[in-house]
Amino acid sequence: MTASPATTMSMELTLPNQLGYELIARDAIAAFARRLGMPMDRVDDMKTALCEACINAIEHGNLLNPDLRVHILCHVDAERFVIEVYDQGLRRFVPPSSLPNIADKLNGTGSLRGMGLLLISQLSDESGFVPRDEAGNCFRFAFQRSGAAHGCR
Amino acid sequence: MAISDDPAYQPLDKVIELRLPSKLGYERVAMDTASSLARRMGFHPDRIESLKTAISEAVTNAIEHGNQHDEAMKVVVLLTARDDGLVISVADQGQKILPQEHTTPSPQIADVMERSDKGGWGIWLIRELMDEVEFTTAPSGGNQVRMVIHLEP
Repeated sequence: MTASPATTMSMELTLPNQLGYELIARDAIAAFARRLGMPMDRVDDMKTALCEACINAIEHGNLLNPDLRVHILCHVDAERFVIEVYDQGLRRFVPPSSLPNIADKLNGTGSLRGMGLLLISQLSDESGFVPRDEAGNCFRFAFQRSGAAHGCR
Repeated sequence: MAISDDPAYQPLDKVIELRLPSKLGYERVAMDTASSLARRMGFHPDRIESLKTAISEAVTNAIEHGNQHDEAMKVVVLLTARDDGLVISVADQGQKILPQEHTTPSPQIADVMERSDKGGWGIWLIRELMDEVEFTTAPSGGNQVRMVIHLEP
């Protein structure tokens, strides 16, 4: 779970597997992104996406088990701001058989939940689960830094 | 039954671990993470400001003195939420061990004003602002400062 040698800056965060702690992660990553000059609207996208990814890890990957942890690795190079969220994988991610349908949700015929991955894919520039040999899921999402105000300071 | 529903279950301390680059400016990430947690724990805004100042001084010391500005080294911040307060531990990777006699300074303003270097207030500030402060050696061999801020009922 360490960043590659080509990475110019990284931070790591490990959280208790408890709903609510995603808000602390959100504030930590936002501070890191601001420090690296990411535009505020992208920081807002990042905050929403990170909360969704952490909630997925807590609820689905770690099945709300309070003895487990969620690990976040954030690595940044000149082009991309990459966030990886790891759970301890009591349950492997299985892709849904169909995409969520917003119309069904709005007219009350579909569950109001289950929009997290769709939201993340809309807010970030790339996203998806990373295949791993070890136990646990790794969900990675990234943001281009073309709009960043500065390089890695 | 979920594990947390078991009356015999004793949860582990709720620990957040943050690993930051040894670069000045990134102490802001620790400040924002700690204040986010403290706010949710119910600390008074004045105490949160004290916490932010103390953690900023501790992380800056770790970057400047312990890790000697080596960006490849990490500063490790542990935030432990307890019912009666917040425990903060800041550890460096110990390029330069802090002598014990430097952990209880009482700088005099008149002396400091005569020096070109106006630093040297960090540890004094930490001791003034936190309820408990202890300087030890980290498991990694570096310097570690453990600070406690009590949550008043």
